[in-house]
Amino acid sequence: MSNIDRRTLVKGSLAAMMAGAAFSRAAFAQSSEPILLGVSGPLTGPNAQYGMQWKQGFDLALDEIMAAGGINGRKLAYQFEDSQSDPRQSVAIAQKFVSDPRIVMELGDFSSPASMAASPIYQRGGLVQFGFTNSHPDFTKGGDFMWSTSVSQADEQPLLAAYAVKRLGLKKLAVLHLNTDWGRTSRDYFIKAAKEYGAEIAVTEGYIAEERDFRSTLVRVRDASPDGLILISYYSDGALIARQARQVGLKQVICAASSVYSPKFIELGGEAVEDVHLGTRYFPEDPRPEVKKFIAGFKAKYGGQEPDAFNAYSYDAMHMAAAVVKIGGSDRRAIRDAFAKVKDVSSVIFGSATFDVESRRVKGAMNAELVVRKGQFALWDGKPT
Amino acid sequence: MAGASASAASHSLAPWGHRVSSWLDYTINGLIVGNVYALVAVGLALIFGVSRLINFAQGSIYLVGAYIGWVAVVQLHTPLPLTIIVVAVAAAVVGLIIERFGLRPLQNSVRIAPLLATIGISFVLDQLVMLTFSPNPRALPSQLPDVRFQVGGGTIGPLDLLIAGVGLTSALLLFAFLRYSKLGWAVRATAQDRDAAMQMGVDVNRVNQAVFGIAAALGGVSGMLVGMYYNQIDTAMSLQATLKGVVAEVVGGAGNVPGAVIGSLLLGLVESYGVAVFGTSYRNLFAFLLLVVVLVLRPNGLFASARQAPPEPLTGTFIAPSRPVRIPRWALAVAAGGFAVLPFFPVSFYVLQTLINAWLLGMLALSLTLVAGTIGQVSLGHAALLAIGAYSSALLSLTFSVPVGLAIIGGGLMSAALGTALISPSFRLRGHYVSIATLAIGEIVSLVILNWESVTRGPIGISGIPPLSLFGYDLISPPSIYWFSFAVMVVLALLQARLLTSHLGRSFRAIRDDDVAARAYGLSLNRYKSLAFIFGGFAAGVSGGIAAHLYSYINHETFNTQQSILALTVVILGGLGNVVGAILGSVALVGLPEVFRIAAEYRILIYGIVLLLLVRFRPQGLLGTI
Repeated sequence: MSNIDRRTLVKGSLAAMMAGAAFSRAAFAQSSEPILLGVSGPLTGPNAQYGMQWKQGFDLALDEIMAAGGINGRKLAYQFEDSQSDPRQSVAIAQKFVSDPRIVMELGDFSSPASMAASPIYQRGGLVQFGFTNSHPDFTKGGDFMWSTSVSQADEQPLLAAYAVKRLGLKKLAVLHLNTDWGRTSRDYFIKAAKEYGAEIAVTEGYIAEERDFRSTLVRVRDASPDGLILISYYSDGALIARQARQVGLKQVICAASSVYSPKFIELGGEAVEDVHLGTRYFPEDPRPEVKKFIAGFKAKYGGQEPDAFNAYSYDAMHMAAAVVKIGGSDRRAIRDAFAKVKDVSSVIFGSATFDVESRRVKGAMNAELVVRKGQFALWDGKPT
Repeated sequence: MAGASASAASHSLAPWGHRVSSWLDYTINGLIVGNVYALVAVGLALIFGVSRLINFAQGSIYLVGAYIGWVAVVQLHTPLPLTIIVVAVAAAVVGLIIERFGLRPLQNSVRIAPLLATIGISFVLDQLVMLTFSPNPRALPSQLPDVRFQVGGGTIGPLDLLIAGVGLTSALLLFAFLRYSKLGWAVRATAQDRDAAMQMGVDVNRVNQAVFGIAAALGGVSGMLVGMYYNQIDTAMSLQATLKGVVAEVVGGAGNVPGAVIGSLLLGLVESYGVAVFGTSYRNLFAFLLLVVVLVLRPNGLFASARQAPPEPLTGTFIAPSRPVRIPRWALAVAAGGFAVLPFFPVSFYVLQTLINAWLLGMLALSLTLVAGTIGQVSLGHAALLAIGAYSSALLSLTFSVPVGLAIIGGGLMSAALGTALISPSFRLRGHYVSIATLAIGEIVSLVILNWESVTRGPIGISGIPPLSLFGYDLISPPSIYWFSFAVMVVLALLQARLLTSHLGRSFRAIRDDDVAARAYGLSLNRYKSLAFIFGGFAAGVSGGIAAHLYSYINHETFNTQQSILALTVVILGGLGNVVGAILGSVALVGLPEVFRIAAEYRILIYGIVLLLLVRFRPQGLLGTI
């Protein structure tokens, strides 16, 4: 019995793999078929929440693109492959996309190890890897097929430092950062800018993503007697730190990076995140038409839910992909060249986005200085907290 | 780090530049966190005490409890006492189901099968929760009044007291239950000698049920309380809870309920002091160092009594012998030949890449099947060997411009040397304790990579690693990488197969099957264990080295705990010690999740269920133990 099970299982799985391969070769693109984008990202595993947020943004953008007539009359669609943010799976997905002629470009992955492990395969296979959350400074150095709309931390952190030091008048800072490539890069840019603006860095603490307890870290922070706390965090850990800081009696001003911008930050942080300052790329009452359209559309599609930073990244990325495909058609090389040609694509994050051909990134992210007031994100009115 | 001392200079200074009052705060914080760990550790200790099983699904029950608590609090608006009862009952039911359908069928099979089953169960439970509730974190509001009491420089709230109360009360109740109730006696009798207990008329199944029910109820309630404590629950909390719980439990003495509480508090303190002295990013380093030190000095935990029966049987029933499936040589040769010519056929690069992943995992599995299967040292930290090999090879080729082929060999040698040196203090351990020690060593290696920035570049990682090349020719096309990795794996497999049939291989198996007899026969255990780790470390290091050049970018997250668990799953699935089994297992476990891609979000759930079925019907592995 078990012998048969084993054999059929092994044979079956191999047969299925072969069949999958044969299928992808046979199903050559027909013009009535939608133009297909490959997405490599986490749908399961520890980062699954971000993959889900990507999907929401993608789907909203696709609705808008379809309503506007699609890509020169053709439909645009994406195929989302779950990588669990694991480099072993993202490289297999990369080969899958590269060898599937229907895929015209790729979006993702989420984490740097998963994205950058796949870069050589995309580069050699001649398929654009459009990493819209990849802030690692070396990501676009992987080759001329790597493009990114991720806000460069070299751009973002000086804005945050200006908010904290120049506008809020903080002079002695404690910096708490996620100890990942993103958090570490951000921290270095932040410290450099904050020092230039004349602030002193009292203490810096890096924590791992799984950390939940920050009490002892906060004792270190307290003993350094800073006048402000800087959080280079995501919304869930940012909320945890803010809560515990208030619980242990730290009353200093808290100023956080834009990645905490999410309704979840307020839900998870509760009263503790009241008066937390944060720099963001857009905000709810933003008068910009593209932001109004994004927020209204998002709320309508997802039952009143407020969009967050990752929703905005993926929404922008899908619109950028559409703009690029409009110019480049369905030829992979033409699509790479189109990235250098697209101009002033309407964007929630950048206002209007144009790639810098040298760095293959977009410069000049929008900036808004927000504060949490009465459980809502609001534009900071300049009053001290 | 210097900032703290500078600002505190005007105050009275304790060692390392902290204020004296700060040490009080660190102590209190350590105890508060230890309190939280204790809730998980007690459940683990109870189960270990009775069934000598480290229940890797305990963290998942904790997760389930947290989400049931969320439903009760947020959707049904139950008051706190009712919430606790609802969660306890629901979690207990989950525990009973796990015991009845997941573990009881494995009662008479290999000791390692239930361990694997709990890993499979935790996959399934975590995925079910994720699919039901979405992976987004949720707020779980505390139902207690928000008052804070000033203690030292910080404050504690009513939840801290409730958690401490639940932890201590449950430990005391369990202690009394085990000591004074009839069922408790039965539990202890079963723990001491299962067969004797059965002969004396103890209904062992009922005992197991009771234990799983209690442990699960406790786990569920603790998940809910911790969720309220942080006002946050998410599906990633399960693995962390298990890891910390296991550390605390083993420090306290596996199977010892009051010991688990004290072990948890100690763990919390060590972490807190670690943060105080070295900074936040060193926190877990201290947790795992504590574990290794305790295991080396007192292998039965700090609070194991001298009278206690040895934690593992003297002879090797941990890995039961079985009749391996004999595959004729010609069949193997045909299979190898078939895979060797595969790239000439019209298969997509995706299939080739998937098989490359399988060959890389295969090398790791060869390594692990040697140390776990052949010599009986079941390692749960094997990804560390990959990481050492990968970093060595990457740095050799980048910094010292060593040709890639040589750099990979260098990575293998480094992994063999460093891996053996790191593991050698735990050579005297047996059974589960080896697994726990290697788990800790694996975490330590990963944390050292994260913190030793001058060499490893810390969280930024190493990018721009040159591609694979051999004698000056770049191997960048998928078929060439495929052939290269396949050839390396086949060579390692042939070497290992040769080793197993030699005198040395027989000595390895003798040590696994009965180390007392082996020692009596004059075999030096440490020397043979070292030899096994040297060979195994080399294979794993080469695999890591190839991966580094394949990926071009690595950081501390590239080779993680999940990878170690996957490798062990492969090895058990293929059959412990079985060379062909390790390769077959790798192909299956790399291939299955790819085949299930069609199921999108459900694929890991399906994978978990398939794993459980395999363990259920073929606990000795596909090809059997050699």
